[in-house]
Amino acid sequence: MAISGIKVNPTKFNKNQIPLYLYLVPLAVVMGAPIIYIIGHAFKPMDELYAFPPKFFVSHPSLINFQNLAQTAAGSSVPISRYIFNSLVVTVAVVVLSILISTMAGFALSKMNFKMKNTIMEINNVALMFVATAVVIPRYLTISFTGILDTWFAHILPLIAMPVCLFLIKQFMDGIPNSLIEAAQLEGAGSFTIYRKIILPMVKPAIATGAILAFQAVWNNVETSNLFTSTESIRTLAFYMNTLSGVGTVQGQGMAAAAALIMFLPNLLLFIIMQSNVMNTMAHSGLK
Amino acid sequence: MAGKKNKNPHDKHHLSRRTLREWMYGYIFIAPWIVGVCIFFIYAMVQSLRFSFSKIVFVNGITFQPLNYLWENYASVFVNEVNFPTTLGSFTMGLVLQLPIIIAFSLIIALLLNGNIKFRSGFRMIFFLPVIIATGPVMNQLTAQGVASVPMMSAASLANLLGMLPDFLANALTELFNSLILILWNSGIQILIFLSGLQKVSRVMYEAAKIDGASGWESFWKITLPNVRSIILLNAVYTVVTLATGGTNAIIDLIYNATYTATKGYSYGMAMSWIYTAIIAVILLIVFLLFKEKSDRHVKYEQKRVTLR
Repeated sequence: MAISGIKVNPTKFNKNQIPLYLYLVPLAVVMGAPIIYIIGHAFKPMDELYAFPPKFFVSHPSLINFQNLAQTAAGSSVPISRYIFNSLVVTVAVVVLSILISTMAGFALSKMNFKMKNTIMEINNVALMFVATAVVIPRYLTISFTGILDTWFAHILPLIAMPVCLFLIKQFMDGIPNSLIEAAQLEGAGSFTIYRKIILPMVKPAIATGAILAFQAVWNNVETSNLFTSTESIRTLAFYMNTLSGVGTVQGQGMAAAAALIMFLPNLLLFIIMQSNVMNTMAHSGLK
Repeated sequence: MAGKKNKNPHDKHHLSRRTLREWMYGYIFIAPWIVGVCIFFIYAMVQSLRFSFSKIVFVNGITFQPLNYLWENYASVFVNEVNFPTTLGSFTMGLVLQLPIIIAFSLIIALLLNGNIKFRSGFRMIFFLPVIIATGPVMNQLTAQGVASVPMMSAASLANLLGMLPDFLANALTELFNSLILILWNSGIQILIFLSGLQKVSRVMYEAAKIDGASGWESFWKITLPNVRSIILLNAVYTVVTLATGGTNAIIDLIYNATYTATKGYSYGMAMSWIYTAIIAVILLIVFLLFKEKSDRHVKYEQKRVTLR
């Protein structure tokens, strides 16, 4: 198995690779199955949704769930476009800012030298493992104290600092050889130039991963809408979808499936855009 | 700046302009993060610690009432919460069983995906998909539908087989098999991290080993594994953290319910989450000690040489 990693460019299919496929194909099926399921599930009509045992594939696809969803949405006081707009603004802001902050902090923690460095890393590690529920009310206090309750900032600010993101990115940066940075310094590059021209391009895979994680965290977030806002027109799409599917009617189940698909599609899209970045840059990033 | 880290260890008290300048840049880069953490994390955490040592009543805002004694909330968790210790125990047991599986599984997949096989990019994409499934509404849908567990029949036959084992171990194992698919879905990021680590291992070393007559198996143990050791640590920490704070965790549910139950109250929930955090910290410490990089000079030297080539 391990040896397969070193075979340089077997340009065509050869027999030795068959065992590899025997491992990979079944596992790939297991991994890919939920996607197929979630798509099929959204198109199931009522009788198939409640079938027991549950069916994997949809046999008579219909748009009834989406129609129900659209009908309920049309009846709500705030137009759905408003929720989508809110979600977009909040998501873009959080992803961009959290990546910016994490990469800057990661650069400082990994490649620079200053007092309290280790303490800061320790604090981040504590933040990593702390239960989110425990800080909900103190966070509410902070947010009401700073006067950003019921604004976009209430969605954005609590989510910007992502300890997991910083942790991953910092670990990646540790792998960048110091000699590269020294060389740049000899050429007269300042810290910001090094950050922009060397560090950022080299940790692209980590950035892509972090961006996907950050996107997940904010796009699906219901809590900030629930806790930090009270005006309906400032809440996000995730919250709206949640209320729709939580109505508790018989159609609720189907609408939940449709809503899950709608919420999931941007994830998939972002993932497809990001994945080439995630997987391919590391190979030729000049690390060897 | 970088690389000069250990050059002047004796100059600590004698700060040159250069060092001060260096520090300044460090602080500039980390400042946004510090501000965010101070406001939204440290303040919140200190408050929650304070809350856990007091009684809170939500009437016209928040009023504090004195406790009978300092550790009252913590003591009452152990007295009242019958499920807490058992849930903690089964969680820890599950973690101990799941961690090696996730690490081994993701390492194997990463090794396979690192090879030059046909449809490689397609396979890679499929294996990273769990990253976007494992959170959010999709996962809720799937677990609600029971897709995430193995079919009933195999679980039953498994239970027979496990009958001879001691109870707590058997329970943990059935749990494990029930969530096996869930485990696989949870290993997306780990595969990703391993893959990037594997790609950093220089091919020159493998070629040299091959010339010296090492088999693939040998070069896995002697080259690949030592090289990804630090990445194993990274992945282990990441896995523990995601499992411990993830949505499908029974303890989080317990804490959440206790926090929003009128009879138990917020400070009670705070006390629970502090206990839980302490336990996770201990687990992480153990993981850290287990996978800590040994000072293996030989490997370090190899890496350095190859890097500077």
